[in-house]
Amino acid sequence: MNESNKTGRDPLDEALASLPESIAPQRDLWPQIRAEIEQTPIAAPKSVVQSNWFRLAAAVLLVLATSFVTYYVTRQSMQQQVAQVTPEAAPAPQLTGQPASFTFGRERLGAGYMNARAELDKRFKERLAALPPADRAKVEKNLADLRHAADEISATLAQHPSDPLLQDLLMSTYQSELQLLANVSDLPTAGSMRTDL
Amino acid sequence: MTTGAATHSSALTADRSSLSDSALVAAARKGDMRAFERLYRLHSGKVMGLCLRMTRRHDVAEDCVQQTFIRAWRSLAAFEGRSAFGTWLHRIAVNEVLTHQRNHGTRAESDEEAVADATAEPLESQRAYDAGEVMDVERALATLPPGSRHVVVLQTVYGYSHEEVADMLGIAVGTCKAQLHRGRRLLRERMGLPETADE
Repeated sequence: MNESNKTGRDPLDEALASLPESIAPQRDLWPQIRAEIEQTPIAAPKSVVQSNWFRLAAAVLLVLATSFVTYYVTRQSMQQQVAQVTPEAAPAPQLTGQPASFTFGRERLGAGYMNARAELDKRFKERLAALPPADRAKVEKNLADLRHAADEISATLAQHPSDPLLQDLLMSTYQSELQLLANVSDLPTAGSMRTDL
Repeated sequence: MTTGAATHSSALTADRSSLSDSALVAAARKGDMRAFERLYRLHSGKVMGLCLRMTRRHDVAEDCVQQTFIRAWRSLAAFEGRSAFGTWLHRIAVNEVLTHQRNHGTRAESDEEAVADATAEPLESQRAYDAGEVMDVERALATLPPGSRHVVVLQTVYGYSHEEVADMLGIAVGTCKAQLHRGRRLLRERMGLPETADE
């Protein structure tokens, strides 16, 4: 290097190397950063439990969404059915109100849940039988999906019993199942609608 | 889980200053805001230096620093520790700067444009210096066209390799080398240093 200085280094390299890497901001940016991130819950580190949780949560959300759609579809269907209800009883439903997954965390649900379920179960069977076949199939599918999700959550929870997120998710899934049963059970029966007419 | 977090918190309180980045990151990932603040205090200067030299504007640089740490917080779970935390932050910061410049139309959008930028003479608007003036290196750096400036800053000030810089900036390694070559030539010219044989 023909312009190397006495240290043997290129003066340009020396000048660049002399630049400080750090330059303090003119104001403290932390308060604004803090204000912003306080509104953002930090994403937990990736783990098997976490990835399972997200997958399960996504499944439950999907099921919930379809359940609500089904609820409205069946409600509409029942209203249209008013003038054309057939007196024959529909085939007995294969579906029961018994949740598929009740082995884990059952005690957490309490007697209130179990009593509510028992009452709902009876009405649910009656209303389900009165639904048109297409609507009944949708309800059955959504309920099966919910119970499948509960099974998965329950199995994961059995491996990680202290995970509060999984516990909450399982409870939420049971509640969703209960809500679905309640929605169907609250549908007016064909007979009662006819009477109202 | 709670016990672990509590233990970690106690450790932080006991001797926060001696904690390594990895310990602070681990605490921050558990939601410890004080650990993350410590990381901010430790790294904000370097991130600011990087952003300021890339953007040349204090207000824009500070916005980029702010966004960098916000984004870092949100992405802490994705930080796998394969690189140093500082390097990871720098990547986020470079991305913030490029996003800002893209949104404001000051970044060459493609490799072809970057090569053209590297080989072209500076525009009049970039001649923010008096002909014949001998500048100090910081001022000379600020007069470089963006493409060259970014490469020179990342490579010669912050010590990243051609490959790392190319990856950070989303350009080819060859483009990176061309930008560095041009940047160094312009710096010599503006600092009144004679050219080397290879420049």
